[in-house]
Amino acid sequence: MVYTKKSSALLIIGLILLAIWYLATTNILSPYIEHLGGTEYKYLAEITSLPLYFGIFSIVFGAWQWFGKQKEGSCDYYLSTLAGGMFILLITMLVRWFLAPEIAVISKSMGKIGATGKYLHDILGLNYVVLGILVGIIIVNFFKVPNWAQNGVRLSRLGLKTGVILLGTLYSAAELKNLGGLSIIMIGVFVLGSVGLVLWLGRRMRIPNSMGGVLSAGMGVCGVSATVAAAPVVQAKSVEIAYTIGTILLWGVACMFVFPIVGHLLNLSHLQFGAWAGTGILNSAQVAGAALAYQPDGIETLKVAEIFNITRVLILPIIVLWLAVWYVKREGNSSTQVNAGKVIFEKFPIFVLGFILLFGLSTTGIFSPANHYKGKYFGNTTATGFNKEDLLTLDEISLLKSELIKVQRQDRKQAFQKLLEHGKVASIDDDDTLRGLVNAKVLSKPANDILKKTHKAVRHTAKKIKVFRSWITWLFAFGLVGLGMQITVSAMRQAGGQPAIIGGIVGLIKAGFSLIVVILLISETI
Amino acid sequence: MVKATQNILLASHGTIGAQAAEQKVFEMCASNAHITHLLVVPEFWKDMLGDDWLNNSVTRIQFENYLETELGQEVDQHIDRVHSRLEKLGICSTHKIVFGNPDKCLVNTCGLSEFDLIVMGSPRPKGTAGLRSRMTTKFTARQLTIPLLAVPHPNA
Repeated sequence: MVYTKKSSALLIIGLILLAIWYLATTNILSPYIEHLGGTEYKYLAEITSLPLYFGIFSIVFGAWQWFGKQKEGSCDYYLSTLAGGMFILLITMLVRWFLAPEIAVISKSMGKIGATGKYLHDILGLNYVVLGILVGIIIVNFFKVPNWAQNGVRLSRLGLKTGVILLGTLYSAAELKNLGGLSIIMIGVFVLGSVGLVLWLGRRMRIPNSMGGVLSAGMGVCGVSATVAAAPVVQAKSVEIAYTIGTILLWGVACMFVFPIVGHLLNLSHLQFGAWAGTGILNSAQVAGAALAYQPDGIETLKVAEIFNITRVLILPIIVLWLAVWYVKREGNSSTQVNAGKVIFEKFPIFVLGFILLFGLSTTGIFSPANHYKGKYFGNTTATGFNKEDLLTLDEISLLKSELIKVQRQDRKQAFQKLLEHGKVASIDDDDTLRGLVNAKVLSKPANDILKKTHKAVRHTAKKIKVFRSWITWLFAFGLVGLGMQITVSAMRQAGGQPAIIGGIVGLIKAGFSLIVVILLISETI
Repeated sequence: MVKATQNILLASHGTIGAQAAEQKVFEMCASNAHITHLLVVPEFWKDMLGDDWLNNSVTRIQFENYLETELGQEVDQHIDRVHSRLEKLGICSTHKIVFGNPDKCLVNTCGLSEFDLIVMGSPRPKGTAGLRSRMTTKFTARQLTIPLLAVPHPNA
C-alpha cells in the first residue's frame, strides 16, 4: 500500500509560508504588525525566518508528492506524514503570529476587567496554545481533517514526546529531586485516592467490574491514555469504553479552560499552578495545554506540570497491573494468570528514558557550563554578555535615588547604592539581594520595574539552552494543535450514564482537594 | 396492511428502540417477505483513541485490536439474534454491516435494492442511558424516496 496521497496540498502550504515570509521581510505587513503591537510584537524574528525554511522544505517535498512517483515502503510511510505535519505547523504559526495577538489587541481595547487588574484574554488564558487547540478542535469537527493530512496529524504525539525529552535539559538535579519528590507524594495520594474512590463508588452504584476498572484508570491516572491501556486488561465492554473516554475528554477540555482562569484569579505561582494542573486535570494532554495556557511565553509551569505527567505515566503500568489482578479476583477467574513482567514491560513509557538521558547529559555540562544554574548565568561585562544599552539612564537613576530612603536593611541599601554608582548590578550576591528587595515590594512599581530590568540585564541564558527552550515551546504547541485535531465532539458526546456521574464526583473532588493542598502546602519556590 | 411480497429494510443496531423496530417487523411480516437487516457501526468509534499521546504503539495497537474484536462480537451476537428469530418465523433474511454515519449509511443502502419499506426505531427519550449515535429522523426522511416506519420507543 502506498500511503502518500497525491495532492497539491503540501506545495500550496509551502507557497503560503513563502508568501508570509515575503510579506514580512518586504515590510508589506508592517502596518498590520504595528496594529498587533508594533515594538511590543514579539514574533518578528520568527516571522522573517521560519516561513522561509519551512516554505522551501514544503515546496520541494510538495512537488515530489504531487508530481513524483511513490513506491511502497517505510520511506513512503514516513514521507506521507509530511503534509499533515506541515498543515499543523502552518496552523500553529498563523495562530501564534496573528490570531493570538489579534485577540490580545481586541481584549486590551476593552480595558482591564474590574478589580482583577488583568485583561480578558489573560484571565481566560486565550493565548496561542489554547487558541491552537481550539482551532484544531474546530477543524476536525466542522471541516474534517483532509485525507492527505491524516497520517501527519497522528505525528503530533511525537512532537509532544520529543518536547518532554528535550525538557530533560532544563532541570537542575536539585529541582528534579524536589519536584520529583513532590509529584510522587501528590500523584501517589491523589491517583490512589481517585482509583479507590471510583472503585468504591462503582460498588455502591453496582456498576460492572469492567466498567469500574476502566473508569478508575481513566479518572485516577492519566485520562484517555490510561483508559486505552487498561480497557483490554479489565475486558471493558465497548459502551463502557465510549462512556469513559467521552466523559474524560469533555472533562479534560473544560478543565483546560477553567484551570488557568482559577489560577489567575487566585494568583497562583508557576509552581503552584503546575502542581495543581498536574494533579487535578484528568487528561495528560490537557495538563500540558493548561500549563502553557497559564504561562505561554515561559516554560516554568510546563516544567512542573510535565514532571507530574511523567510521574503519572510511570505509575500507569503499576495501576494497570493492579487493576488486572483486581479484575481477575473480582470476577473469580482463578484460572487466568496475570503476567506482571509482560504488563510492566509493554506499558513502560520509553520516551521517559529519553528525558532521563538528556537530563543526565545536561548535568555533565554538555549544554551549558557547570557553574550555570539551569542554563542561566550572571554576567555584567561585555565579554559575559552585558549590553551597554542596558546601563541605567539618568532618569532611572534619579527615580531610584528618590526611593533610596525607603530601603532599611543594610545589605539591601549597600547593593542599591552600588547599583546607582555603577549603573548596573555589581555582583551575583547583589543581584540576589536586589531580587529580595523587589519581592519585598518596598519600592514603588516603576522603581521595581527598573530593578527587574537590571536583573534581566545581568542574567543570561546559555545559547544552547535558549535554543532548547524555543524548540520545546514549538514542539508542545505543534503537538497540542495536532491533538486538538483528534478531539471530536462525537466522542465527547458519548459522555453519559453512570461514568459521567462518578467521573463528575471524582473529578471535582480531585480538582478541589488538590487545589487546597497546593495552596496550603506548596510555597512559591522549590 | 403491509403486502406479503414486501422487501423490507430493517435498520437496527440492537438498542432498546431498535429492538422495538425488530419486534414490529417480526409481527407484521408475512412468511414470503425478505428482510435486509442493516447494522451500522457508528463512525465515532474511530475517534476513541482521543488525544492519547502517552502510550506506545504496542499499547495503542492492543487497544484498537481489543475494541475491534469487542465490537465484532457485539455485532455478531446481534445479527445472530435477529437472524435466528426470523428463521424461526420462516422469513428469509440477509444482513449488511457497514461502518459510518448512520443516516448516510441508511440512505446509501436504500439505493442498493428496491425496498418497499424501511423500519427503524425512534430516538430514545431524554434521560434514558445509551450511546449517542442515533439517526436524525428529519434528515433521513428528507432523503428517502420510500416509506419509512419509525416504531415508537418502549420508554416513550
